[in-house]
Amino acid sequence: MVWLSSRWKIAIMAAPALIVFTALIVYPVIYSAGYSLTDFAGFGDPAFVGLKNYIDLGNDPFFWSSLRNTIIILVVSLVILVPGSFGLALLLRRRFPGGGALRALVFAPVIIAPILVGLIWVFILDPKIGLLDRLFGALGLPQPEWIGGNVLTPYSVALVFVWGSVGFAMTIFYAGLQQLPTDILEASSLDGASGWKQLLYITVPLMKESFAIATVLLITNVFKIFELVFVLTNGGPVHRSETLVSYMYFITFNNQQYGSGMALAVIITVLGAVVSLGYLLLLRGRKSA
Amino acid sequence: MSAPTSPLGRRSRRRTGGIVAAIAAYLITFLILLPILWIVLLSFQSSEKILSNPLDLGSLSLLNYVHTVTSLPLAQMYGNTILLAVVSVTIGTAISFMVSFALTRMIFRRRRVQSGLRFYILAGLAVPVYILLFPVYRLDLALGVFGSYAALIIPYVGVSIPFNTLLLTGFLRDLPTEIEEAAIIDGAGLTRLIWSVVLPVMRPVIATVLIFNVVYVFNEFPFASILINNPDMTTVSLAVSQFQGQYSVDYGGMMAAATLVLLPQLVIYAIFQKQVIAGMTMGAVKG
Amino acid sequence: MHSTHHLRRLTAAVAVVAAVALSIAGCSTASSGGATKISLSMQNPNVKTADPATWAIVHAFEKKNPNITVTVTGQPVAQHLQNLSVAAQSHTLPDIFWIYKATAEQMNKSGYLMDLAPMLKDLGLTDKISSSTLDNFSTGKVTYGVPYQGLLTGIWYNEKILSDNGLTVPKTFDEFLHVAVTLHAKGITTLSDGANQSSFSVWSFLVDLDRYGWESKYQAILAGKASYDNPDFIRFYDSIAKLREAGAFPSNVTTQTYQQAVNEFTSGKAAMLDAGIWASSAIQDSTVAPDAGFWAGPTFSDGVGKQDIVMNVASAPFAVSADVKKDSAKSAAVKKFIAFYYSDAAQQLLVDNGQPPVTNYTPKLDATKQSVLKGALEASTAPGLTSPQTQPDLVVSTAVASAMYDSIYGVIEGQLTSKQAVDLVQKAIDAGK
Repeated sequence: MVWLSSRWKIAIMAAPALIVFTALIVYPVIYSAGYSLTDFAGFGDPAFVGLKNYIDLGNDPFFWSSLRNTIIILVVSLVILVPGSFGLALLLRRRFPGGGALRALVFAPVIIAPILVGLIWVFILDPKIGLLDRLFGALGLPQPEWIGGNVLTPYSVALVFVWGSVGFAMTIFYAGLQQLPTDILEASSLDGASGWKQLLYITVPLMKESFAIATVLLITNVFKIFELVFVLTNGGPVHRSETLVSYMYFITFNNQQYGSGMALAVIITVLGAVVSLGYLLLLRGRKSA
Repeated sequence: MSAPTSPLGRRSRRRTGGIVAAIAAYLITFLILLPILWIVLLSFQSSEKILSNPLDLGSLSLLNYVHTVTSLPLAQMYGNTILLAVVSVTIGTAISFMVSFALTRMIFRRRRVQSGLRFYILAGLAVPVYILLFPVYRLDLALGVFGSYAALIIPYVGVSIPFNTLLLTGFLRDLPTEIEEAAIIDGAGLTRLIWSVVLPVMRPVIATVLIFNVVYVFNEFPFASILINNPDMTTVSLAVSQFQGQYSVDYGGMMAAATLVLLPQLVIYAIFQKQVIAGMTMGAVKG
Repeated sequence: MHSTHHLRRLTAAVAVVAAVALSIAGCSTASSGGATKISLSMQNPNVKTADPATWAIVHAFEKKNPNITVTVTGQPVAQHLQNLSVAAQSHTLPDIFWIYKATAEQMNKSGYLMDLAPMLKDLGLTDKISSSTLDNFSTGKVTYGVPYQGLLTGIWYNEKILSDNGLTVPKTFDEFLHVAVTLHAKGITTLSDGANQSSFSVWSFLVDLDRYGWESKYQAILAGKASYDNPDFIRFYDSIAKLREAGAFPSNVTTQTYQQAVNEFTSGKAAMLDAGIWASSAIQDSTVAPDAGFWAGPTFSDGVGKQDIVMNVASAPFAVSADVKKDSAKSAAVKKFIAFYYSDAAQQLLVDNGQPPVTNYTPKLDATKQSVLKGALEASTAPGLTSPQTQPDLVVSTAVASAMYDSIYGVIEGQLTSKQAVDLVQKAIDAGK
C-alpha cells in the first residue's frame, strides 16, 4: 500500500470531501457559534453579550426538561432498537418464502418523511381521535394520555422513533451480516457450536463495526429529533414534551431569539459529538486493550 | 426429541426453527406495517367517519383520492426530488468513498492525522441542521446559486459526508485486506485497485449508503423550506410539510395525500431493493 | 502511469456530475417576459383556503392589472418568520409581507422596511384609514406598516346547544362557569381551543387580561417598574383554572390544532369557540350557522377597570421591503396594489370573505348569506361597548408574547398554577432587558 500512498494521492482522495465538509458544516457551525454570543434577534445588528445566552439556558427549566426528554428517548430507543433490529436482521437473513419482500416492508417506515410519520401517529396516539384510545376504550381499559400529557409523551415519541428507525438499523446490521466471511461461520457450525454460542462468540464480535455504526447513528439521530415532536405535540403542554431541537426551533424562530437559539444549537452539537464520538473512542480503547 | 447429533433430528429441528422464524418475521413485519395500513384504511373514509367510527368498512370510498389527486402536483414533486437525489447522492457518495478509502486504506505518515481527520468528519454527525440554515443560505447567495437546484444540492452533499464516511470507513475496516494486497503485488495501481477490487466487494455497503442518502434527500425538510422559494421547485417533503395546514380538518384528504406520497416511495424502494441490493449482495457473495 | 489515468477519470466523473448540477441551476432562473412581478408572503400555509379574503383581493387586483403578477406564498407563522429573518439579512425579502408589529419595528430600525407615509399621503389613504391605526404602525413620521385585517376577537357560541341544555348565553364569568359545569356533565365541550401549532389561539383570554387591568399596567410592567406577578393577574389566571376545573375545554386541547378546534364548533360538538371574526366564513358555511352568535366575553365581578369591552383593533400589519424602492416598476406595482387593497371594491371583498373592513368604508352585508358576520359586527358595536387600544400580545416582543400564550395554555392544560404562569411571563420580560 505504501507506494500507492504518496502525499498527493492522499490529497486527491481526501480533499474534495474535506473541503465540502469544512465549507458546509464546520464553517457554518463556527459562524453560528459566533452568533450564540450575541443578542441577535433575527433582524438588526447583533451586540456581543458574552456567555449570557448560555447562562440563561442553564437557568431555564424548559431547557432542562427538553434535555431530560431527549435522554429518556435516547435510553428507551437504544435499549429497544439495538438488540431488536439486530435480532430482526438475523431473522430476515434466514431463507424463507417472501423473505425479500419482508426486508423491503420492514424498511417502509424509514422512507416516510418524519413529518408524515408524526401525522400518521397522531391518528394512533391522539387522546381523542387516536386508534389506541379507541382500542383501549373498547376493551374497557384506562385511556392514558399517550401524547399531550406530561408523563407519557417522551416515551410515546421514543416509541414512534423506534418504529421509524427499526428498518434503518436493521439494514445496517443486515449489510454487516452479508459481509461476514461465510467460511468462519460454516466452520464453527461444523464444529458443533450451538446457535446461541455461535451468535454470541462469533457473529457478534465480527459485527463490532456494524454495532458501532448503528449505535452512533441512533444516538446522533435521537439528538436531532424534531419533526416528530413538532407534529405530535409541538412541544406541549407548555414545553413539557419538548426535545432539545424542537425547543431550539421554538426559541430561534417562534421567539426570534436567534442568539439564544444558536447557543442551544451549539450545546446540542457538543452533546451529540461528545456522546457519539466518546462511544467510538471507548470502543477503540477496548479494542486495543 | 431425538439426539442433536442425529442428522435427521438436526434437519427437522432446523426446519421447525425455520418455520418459527418465518412466522415471527411475518408477525413483526405486520406489526411494523400496522400504522401504515391504518392510514391507508383512513384514506378511504370520510373525515366525519374518521372521527366517529373509522373501522366501519361499509363506508369506504375513493372520494378523498379524487379530490387529492387533482390538488397534489405529484409528478412535479417527485421529478424535482428525484433530480435532487440523483445529483447530490452521486457526488456525495463518490467523494465520501474517496475520503473513506484514504482514511482507512492509505498510509499516512502520521497515523494521528488519519484518525484525527476521521473524527473531524464524524463529529459532523452531531450537527443539528438548524445551526446550518442561515450560514448555508448566505453561502448559496455568495455562490450565486440561490433559487436553483444547486442551492440544495450543495448542502445535501455536505450533510451526507459524515454519515457516508461513518458507514464506509466502518465497513472498510471490517473488510479483510488480503485480496487488496494480492492485487497490489500483481501490480494494480490505485484506481484499478479501487475499481476492480475494493468497489465490487463493497457493493452491499454502497447500496446501503445510496439508499439511506436517497431517503435523506426525500425526507429533508429544513433546508428545502428556506432554500426553495419557487413553488415549481417544490419537493416531496415540502409538500408533505404543508399537509397539516392544507388539509387541516380534512383528515380523509390528508390521509389520502399521505398514501399517495408513500406509495411511489415504496415502489421506488422496492425497485432499489430488488435490482440493487439483491444484485449487489449476490455479487458480494460470489466475489 | 496507469493508475493516475484512472484516478483522473474518477475525478472527471465527479466534475461532470457537478457541472450537470450547475447547469440545472442555470435553467431554473428563467426571466419573465414583460410583466412586473411582485411577491406577497403570508402567515398561512395555504392562503387560498385559510385566508380567502387576501386570495380574492389578489385575484381581483391581477384581473384589473394584467401586466402585474402577484406571487402569493405562505407558511405557518414560525416558518414565515424564520424565512423573513433569513431573507432580511441577505436582502431577499418578499416585496410585501405580513409581520408582527414588534418585529416590524425591529426591521424598521434596521432599515429593512420602506417608509409608507409618503405613499399613503399620495394615495389619499390617510383619510380612509383611521389615524390611530396608522399611528400604531408608525415611529415618528415613518409609517412602516399598513393594516392587513381587523382583529375582532371573542367567543362564538351555539345558541341551540345552550338552550337544549336549559342554558342561556352567559354574561358574567359566574354564569360562564355554570354553563361549563352543566355542559361538562353531559360530555359537551364548552369552549373549544387547540394549542398544537397554534399556541397563540387564546384570543378570548387576552381580552380577559384586559378585564384585569392590562391596559393600565403594561407600560410600567414592560419598563420594569411593576411586576406581571401582581394580585390582579393572579386572579386572571385563577379564572382560567376555574374554567378548566369545570371541564370547559376539550380533552385533547394540547394535541389538537386551532383548525380542529374550529371544526369541533362548526360540527356542533362544542358550545363555544375561542376565535375571532375571521372564523365567520367557516361558521357561515357550516350547519351551525343559524344558531351561531358572537359574544365579547365574560365580565368579572373581581375585575379591574371597565368590563364591557370588546377586542376590536388592528391586527399585525403588512410591511413593504425597502428594496422595492430600487426598482421603479416594482415600486409602482406595489403602490397600485396598496391603492387597490384599500379601495372600496377590495374592502367589500374583505367583507364578502368574512372580514370587517379596515377603512371607513360602509360595507354591504347580505342578511342571510352573511348572517354570522353581520351578527358579530352588530354585537361588537353594541352601545356601551368599547375596545382596548390594542391586543396585549401585540405590544410586547415575540418572546414575551410566546410566554403569555404558554402561560395561558399552561393553566388551561393544568400544567401551571397561577403563580407559575405569572412567573413564566415575568421571566420572559426580565430576559428581554
